[in-house]
Amino acid sequence: MSPLAKLQDFFENASRSKLMVYACVLGLIGLALMSWSLFDQGWIPVMMAMSVGQGIGTLSLLLFIAVTVIALRGADFRPSLPPPKPSKPQDD
Amino acid sequence: MFSFVPMHVSPLSWIALSCAIVAAGIMIYYLLRRPRLDLAGMSLMFLGLGVLPIMVALIGNMEGLDATERQGFCGSCHTMDMWIEDANDPDSTSLAAIHSRTNKFGGKSCYVCHKDYGMFGYALTKLGGMGHVYKFLSEWMWYDRDEIVGKIHIARPFKNQNCMQCHSTTGAIWAGTQDHAGLLEDLRSGETSCVSAGCHGYAHPFSKPEEETPSSDEVHTAIHGDAPGGT
Repeated sequence: MSPLAKLQDFFENASRSKLMVYACVLGLIGLALMSWSLFDQGWIPVMMAMSVGQGIGTLSLLLFIAVTVIALRGADFRPSLPPPKPSKPQDD
Repeated sequence: MFSFVPMHVSPLSWIALSCAIVAAGIMIYYLLRRPRLDLAGMSLMFLGLGVLPIMVALIGNMEGLDATERQGFCGSCHTMDMWIEDANDPDSTSLAAIHSRTNKFGGKSCYVCHKDYGMFGYALTKLGGMGHVYKFLSEWMWYDRDEIVGKIHIARPFKNQNCMQCHSTTGAIWAGTQDHAGLLEDLRSGETSCVSAGCHGYAHPFSKPEEETPSSDEVHTAIHGDAPGGT
């Protein structure tokens, strides 16, 4: 299966709620790492925040974007204009 | 081995912390209650997973980069303990201590003296700092703080350009000093180091062998002819 097909398969079959749970868990870990450096400005917290913390946070955001894409693909958009009414046959 | 460096409280830090708390609250709310992912739910999650964490990351970057300029950051590796102690010792007459006592340097004295001052100075300084992290993790962290003296050395010779950020070499008092006048070109080009043993002495003399280190009196009487003081 090509990467594109894999991606398409992922967007068609993935569970939105499960992805959102992963996004939240990763987001909490990322936030914890980023917040740690606000309290302790030694080299470990600062470097962890600016590398691992932001990496995990970015992954969390990507998962949220994936959830959004899945939601938009499945959305039933209503047309903004009603379809034109069929014209009545004119009387002779 | 690693020391806690207390928070430098700034309004931005508090804003970031507030954003982090609200974002964490939204995520925990989702994990516990699993609201529907309709338009309202997705908007809430966009706030909790997108807008607020990005705010935390941006402010965290600003505060983090600012923190890397502080003495506390440099001193958070135990290997630098003695250098920081000397710089902050009110009785020390080392160049590092004399400069650390001025407002211009203050809590950022390591960075102000050791940073690169070129166009890409900031980035190059940070890259150099990454090298220090590598050296620390691969070697220095295994030494006790007293063992490290004499084992670690500055990566490249200290540039006179860094001294010349403040001491322009054009002032009358500076140029009137005989040794300065005779070595002007060498000092400007870096041929002769300001912090060599024969001139102002090492910035951190305790870390050098005693025979290479002139006493404080020798250094200052050679340059000024009187007691230690600023230029």
